Amino acid sequence: MQAREGGAASGSKARHKRRAADVQQLLPLAAPEAEVESTPAVQPASKRLWFCVYLPELPLDATGRRHSPLAVVEDQQGVHRILLANEMAAAAGVLPGQSANAALALLPEIELEERSTVVEQQTLEALATWLEQFSSFVSIASRDVLLLEIAGSLRLFGGLRHLRRRVASGLEQQGFAASLSIAPTPLAATWLARGNRRACIRKFANLLPKLRSLPLHCLDWPPAAHTALTGMGVTTIGDCLRLPREAFAKRFGAGRLIELDRALGRLPDPRASWRSPERFCADYEMTEEQSDRELLLAICQELLEAHEQFLLTRQLGTQRIDFCFYHLKAPATKLSMGFTRPDRSARRFAELLGIRFERLSLPEPVIALRLQGGPTQLLKAESSRLSFDRRSRPSECYSMTELAERLAARFGDDAVNGVTTVAEHRPQKAWRQRALSGGKTIGQPAFMRPDLKRPLWLLPEPAHLPVEAGLPLHFGRVTLLEGPERLETGWWDEDGIARDYYMAVNPRGMRLWIFRNRSRSADWYLDGIFG
Amino acid sequence: MRHDSSSLEKLLENPRVWRGKSQTWTEQGIASGFEKLDRQLPGSGWPPNSLTEILTEQYGIGELQLLMPALSKLSADDPLVPYAEPGWIAWVAPPFQPYPPALQQWRINLSRLLIVRPKDDSEILWSAEQALSSGTCSAVLLWPETLSDQDSRRLQLAAEKGSSWCIAFRPLSARNQPSAAALRIAMRADGHGTHLDIFKSRGGQPVSISNLFSG
Repeated sequence: MQAREGGAASGSKARHKRRAADVQQLLPLAAPEAEVESTPAVQPASKRLWFCVYLPELPLDATGRRHSPLAVVEDQQGVHRILLANEMAAAAGVLPGQSANAALALLPEIELEERSTVVEQQTLEALATWLEQFSSFVSIASRDVLLLEIAGSLRLFGGLRHLRRRVASGLEQQGFAASLSIAPTPLAATWLARGNRRACIRKFANLLPKLRSLPLHCLDWPPAAHTALTGMGVTTIGDCLRLPREAFAKRFGAGRLIELDRALGRLPDPRASWRSPERFCADYEMTEEQSDRELLLAICQELLEAHEQFLLTRQLGTQRIDFCFYHLKAPATKLSMGFTRPDRSARRFAELLGIRFERLSLPEPVIALRLQGGPTQLLKAESSRLSFDRRSRPSECYSMTELAERLAARFGDDAVNGVTTVAEHRPQKAWRQRALSGGKTIGQPAFMRPDLKRPLWLLPEPAHLPVEAGLPLHFGRVTLLEGPERLETGWWDEDGIARDYYMAVNPRGMRLWIFRNRSRSADWYLDGIFG
Repeated sequence: MRHDSSSLEKLLENPRVWRGKSQTWTEQGIASGFEKLDRQLPGSGWPPNSLTEILTEQYGIGELQLLMPALSKLSADDPLVPYAEPGWIAWVAPPFQPYPPALQQWRINLSRLLIVRPKDDSEILWSAEQALSSGTCSAVLLWPETLSDQDSRRLQLAAEKGSSWCIAFRPLSARNQPSAAALRIAMRADGHGTHLDIFKSRGGQPVSISNLFSG
C-alpha cells in the first residue's frame, strides 16, 4: 500500500504504516488497493478501458452554427459576458470575459447566443446516443464529459487506433471540438482529456507517470480547494500524491482523496450507464382496405393520442413524427412532420397533420397505418404567463410559433420569415432574412440615421431606367426632389458601389429612390419605392 | 306629437334595431397619426378588429406611409403593460421586399415582423385568415390579386375572431365591387400631393381628404 504512494514517499514507510489505520477509518473503501498492486506483472492490460470524450466548447457547439462569427454569452450578475467565442469571432478580438457590448463594438455582425444549459444537455444526450454504436456502456459523467467503456469493443472495431479514429472523425463531422483520452480508470481518462493530453494508456503501470504531471485544474475541483493547494505550491497531481494522506483528507475532504484513489485504480469507480430514450411506434391494421380520408384521419388522431400518452408518462416531447400508410399493392406512402419546438400535444399535431393530409395523394386504399415517433427529449413543462395582456384573447387562439408552423407546413420554411437590419451602407446588404424558429438572437438591429431617406419598398434588384434629356424616365419624366446622397463603399470586395442616390417623383405621383452610377456609363437605376 | 317621439326612442333602445348612422359608435380606433384623417374616422382612428381596404392605382404613392404611425404603435412595447408582448405584424404576399432600415426609421419593431409569401391567390387569403384568427397578430397586411365579396366577409370575420386589424391593398377598379370591409379608402396622388377618398366608413360618412401628408 505504501509503495503505491510513489517514490517521494518511499523513505517514510514506517510513518505510513502507523497511520494506515486512520486512513482506513476515514476511507472505509480503501481496501481493494492490494489487489491491483499484487498483480501488475501478470495482468499487463486492464480489464476495463475507459474512453473519455471531453467537449470543452460544448456551449458553442450546441448552437449548431459554425459558419458565422458567433459567441455564447452568459448572464453574470446582470451583465451579459462572453463565455466562449468561435474562431471567426476570436480572430476579431472577441475574448471570453468581455461584455456583450464590447463584442458588438468589435464585431457588429457577431451573433450573440444566450447560453442554454438545457440545449447543452440535449446535445450531450444526443451525442451519448450516437456513441452507443461504439460501446454498450456509455455514461454521461458531467455536463461536458462522456465516458465509454471500450475494452469489449476493441476487437469489433479493429483495435484501439481504429476505434479512436472513428470516434474522432464522427465528432468532427458533427462539429464538436473534443479532446479524447483512453485510460484504465474513468477519472484518469477524464483528467487526461481535460489536460488535452491525447493519452492512450492501457496498463496500470503506465498510468501514474502520466497522471503525475497533470496540472490541478484538470481535476475540476472546487475553486476553494484549488486555490488552497496552489497556495501551498501544489500544482500537479504528482504533488498531491506526495502529501500525507490523512492530512490531505482532513484539509480537503475524504472525497478528494477517494477521487485520487479512484483515478489510480485503487478504489472501484462504478458509473451509471446512459440509456437512450425510447421511441414510440404503433400500428393500426384494418380489417379491409379503406380509402375514406375522414376515417384515416380519425385513426391518425387516435394514434397521436396514444403517442401523447406515451410521451406524457415519460415527460418527453418530440420534434418529429412519421406516418406510414401501407397499401396492398403499391409501395407505402410516407408522411413526415417536423416541428419547430418539441411537443407532445395530440391536438396540435393533429391540426398540422390535417393541413398536410389535405394534399397527400394516396395511390390506393390503405390497409394499415403506422405512427413512428421521432427522437424524444425531456420536455420541460412551462407555466403559461399571467395574462397582463392589453386585450383578452379568445380561447381558441394559438401562439405565434403555432402560426408560423402552420404557414410553414403549407408553403415550406423559406416562405415564412422575419427580417432584421444589418450595419452596412450598401442598401441591398443592409438587411437580411431571419428565421422565426431559430434560437433567440440578442444582437441589436443596426442603427439607422433618421435623416437619411430610405424607401419602404426595396426592389429585388435595381431596375435600369431609360434616359431622356439627361433625366431618367419612369411612366414619364421624373422630377428630382432630394439628393444626391453619395454612397461609395464596398471597394474591398466584389460588390463595391459608387452611386449618387436621389429621391424623385414620377408623373403618377410615385415617390422613387433612384441612383446614378458614378462609373463611366452614368446609367440611372430604380432601387426602391417610398411606398 | 310627444307621445310618438317617446315611443320611437323606446324602439331605438331595442338592441335588435340597427341604425345606419349610429350615434353610439364608441369603439376607440387605432390612432392613424394623421390628424386630418383621424378627425374623419368614427372612433378617431383606424377601425379595430375589422377589415380596411386601401385602393390604389399603383404602389409607392404613400399607401404604406399612411399606415406606418399606427403600425409602429401596435408593434411597440406598451410602457403601461410591461409584461405584455406586443402583437405581430404579418405581411402576406407583399409586392416588393419591405425594407427593414426604412421600417426601423418609422419605429416599427422589426422583431415582431412576419413576412409570408404564399404561392397563389387562394393561399394568400388562407394565410391572412390564419394570421388574423390566430390572435397573435395585431395587424395583417395583404396584397391579394382578387378579393370577392365573400372573401372580404371571411377576412372581416377572422379579424373579429382574433381581434386583429386587417388591411387589404386592392386596385382602384375594385371600387364598384361590394365588400364587407368596415372602411374603404381610394387613394390617388398627383403633382400636388396625396388625396384620400373615404367612400365607405361603417359608422361614419363618406368624405374626401386632400393633401394628407402636407400639413
